[in-house]
Amino acid sequence: MLPYLDGRFGNPSSIHRWGREARAAMEEARERVAAALGAKRQEIVFTSGGTEADNLAVLGRVRKAMEETGRAGVAVSAIEHKAVHAAAQQAQREGAELIVLGVDTRGVLDLGALDEALRARPSLVSVMWGNNEIGTLQPVSEIAQRCAAAGVDFHTDAVQAIGRDRVRVDEVGCALLTLSGHKIGAPKGSGALFIRSGVQLAPLVYGGGQERGVRPGTESVAHAAALATALELAVREQEAESQRLRALRDQLQAVIVSSVPDAIVNGDAAAARLPHVLNVSFPGIDQEALLVSLDMEGIAASSGSACQSGSVEVSHVLFAIGRPGAEEASVRFSLGRTTTAAEIDAVAGRVPAIVSRLQEFATR
Amino acid sequence: MSEKLTVMVAMSGGVDSSLAAALLAEQGHRVIGVTMKTFCYSENTGPSKTCCGLDGILDAKRVADKLGIPHHVFDMEEAFTRDVIDDFVSEYAAGRTPNPCVRCNSNTKIPDLLRRGRLFGADAIATGHYARIVQGANGESLIARGLDSGKDQSYFLWGVPTEVLPYIRFPVGELTKREVRDRARALGLSTADKPESQEICFVPTGSYTDFLAKRLGDSHEALQPGNLVTATGDVVGEHTGYAHYTVGQRRGLGGGFRKPLYVLGVRPTTNEVVVGSEEELHRTDVTIGGLNWHTTPPAVGERVAVQLRYRAPAVDATVSAISDDAISVVLDEAHRAVTPGQSGVVYRGATVLGGGRIRG
Repeated sequence: MLPYLDGRFGNPSSIHRWGREARAAMEEARERVAAALGAKRQEIVFTSGGTEADNLAVLGRVRKAMEETGRAGVAVSAIEHKAVHAAAQQAQREGAELIVLGVDTRGVLDLGALDEALRARPSLVSVMWGNNEIGTLQPVSEIAQRCAAAGVDFHTDAVQAIGRDRVRVDEVGCALLTLSGHKIGAPKGSGALFIRSGVQLAPLVYGGGQERGVRPGTESVAHAAALATALELAVREQEAESQRLRALRDQLQAVIVSSVPDAIVNGDAAAARLPHVLNVSFPGIDQEALLVSLDMEGIAASSGSACQSGSVEVSHVLFAIGRPGAEEASVRFSLGRTTTAAEIDAVAGRVPAIVSRLQEFATR
Repeated sequence: MSEKLTVMVAMSGGVDSSLAAALLAEQGHRVIGVTMKTFCYSENTGPSKTCCGLDGILDAKRVADKLGIPHHVFDMEEAFTRDVIDDFVSEYAAGRTPNPCVRCNSNTKIPDLLRRGRLFGADAIATGHYARIVQGANGESLIARGLDSGKDQSYFLWGVPTEVLPYIRFPVGELTKREVRDRARALGLSTADKPESQEICFVPTGSYTDFLAKRLGDSHEALQPGNLVTATGDVVGEHTGYAHYTVGQRRGLGGGFRKPLYVLGVRPTTNEVVVGSEEELHRTDVTIGGLNWHTTPPAVGERVAVQLRYRAPAVDATVSAISDDAISVVLDEAHRAVTPGQSGVVYRGATVLGGGRIRG
């Protein structure tokens, strides 16, 4: 990445020598990203991150369908990231039919609801690979097959799953797949969308013909190169790193569950869960109080989502899996590449005391 | 405050509370900044001049980041709507003129700040009010006027629960507004030159009558036309709904009346607005109800000073009657436009003894 921020200033769309050099780097990055996912080079479009890739998939597909047939529809799961939900709501404002697919108490998609939605022939189905808040993994192969059988394009947001689960587009037949750079160590502002050959999208912005006209604008060579390197590394180390994180996560979970008797682990605690996510609800305490107390103890956990003001909103994911939300606090612990066993021990040692203090305060 | 304390500071995003946090941090305390989100912003899109909006939260965060202190946002929308907005609306509907900022400080913000402060192990709480904490005769903590007489906000604090007083700090109370801005500028705080917020925070358009119409509905009795009458009962014109009138407001009646007329009072039961001359607006007897005392209440015959409106000077007075429920005073000089619903605050010198709402 660094050479393209320091001296190698060529514009990949220029004809001259410096341009050629930049273009070569851009295409090499594209090649490497494609190889890491089992895709073809021309199926990768670089974006400014996961949010843009999700928007391009959802709105780009819907607008293309509108152009071609005058109608469009989009079906999304109830626990998608806001980037997908907000794009789908915008699609609805633009005239598309919006179907929200329910999930069970583990957060797994209701396949019956999917089948019913497919009968309405939407332009796109969007179901994330693994959930960012509760970690639930979706049966993406099954969903891809059902969508393909119905002739409907399937988009999956794999931002959380990359480097934590095996993500290959030659094994899972999705039409579109979202990647984000900063979740795997590339700079914030880097990302990509896999667009299977033959899938037609309308661009969200208009300009020159860069990225096959789907995402015009001068390319960031540095971000593309960084994303390629980070992705290769994440894929290469995926199995070992997942095992390490799963062991740490399970250890933290075991301590919390054994020392806080009424703690509830959210998501699919049994098996199909991303290895780096632990989401726990504690009855009888206030959400804000828990997050602030953890912060004061130097534990950087989060709730489902924070709005721009920083105040805590009820998580739509927890709502969708039927957790009441009001009289309990839910917190997500996310583990990463730099998380150590010592840190997990420290967190496991402090959380039960914080929770019991808050529970005691609430009953006073 | 020489010992090192954990202090939770309410930061609105304005310059006063920004500097309050900065001063406490400078004194070596462990400072936790909090902003209380009081109402829904989605209804008030666009840039807002009041300090309760999203811009205020982001400004507070920016100052906290600059000071290197944590900052949290607490959602108090439900309590604020129940305790402040609903009260504001029902007071106007009853023909009175409320002080929502008094209600907010007394019932919502400051008690909640103390509750949360205790929850998180804070030793003290602080706000950016221009007021001071002083020791009473029995060693108790009392609120006194801020040293900048032009900015003093002690008038808004009579309703603060007495048990809060030992725990609350007002770090800018010893400073003038100019000093606050100068110090904020010297510290490089982004809010140093932010304009004052004047409007009621939840009525950012500045039109409380539009807000009332929205909350009460156009058909509410407080918004129906009725008679303008004199004190002796003569009908002299029509009004547009009594909630639109406040005591002391000048009421033009078109030709025929030589002397300007002023609103003397509102009678919700008969849907009348009473008008009269400037002289009739002045009175010396005042009764204040819904009392909160920070210390032993004054006795009948005792000399006190009473402030009946924000920014109006306090008037010397003698207590003529007192009960658990109300205090009556006789003012040394007649006061213009004594307005039911506004705060009546009883001082001894610069110290707040307590206060309540002016009765009709």
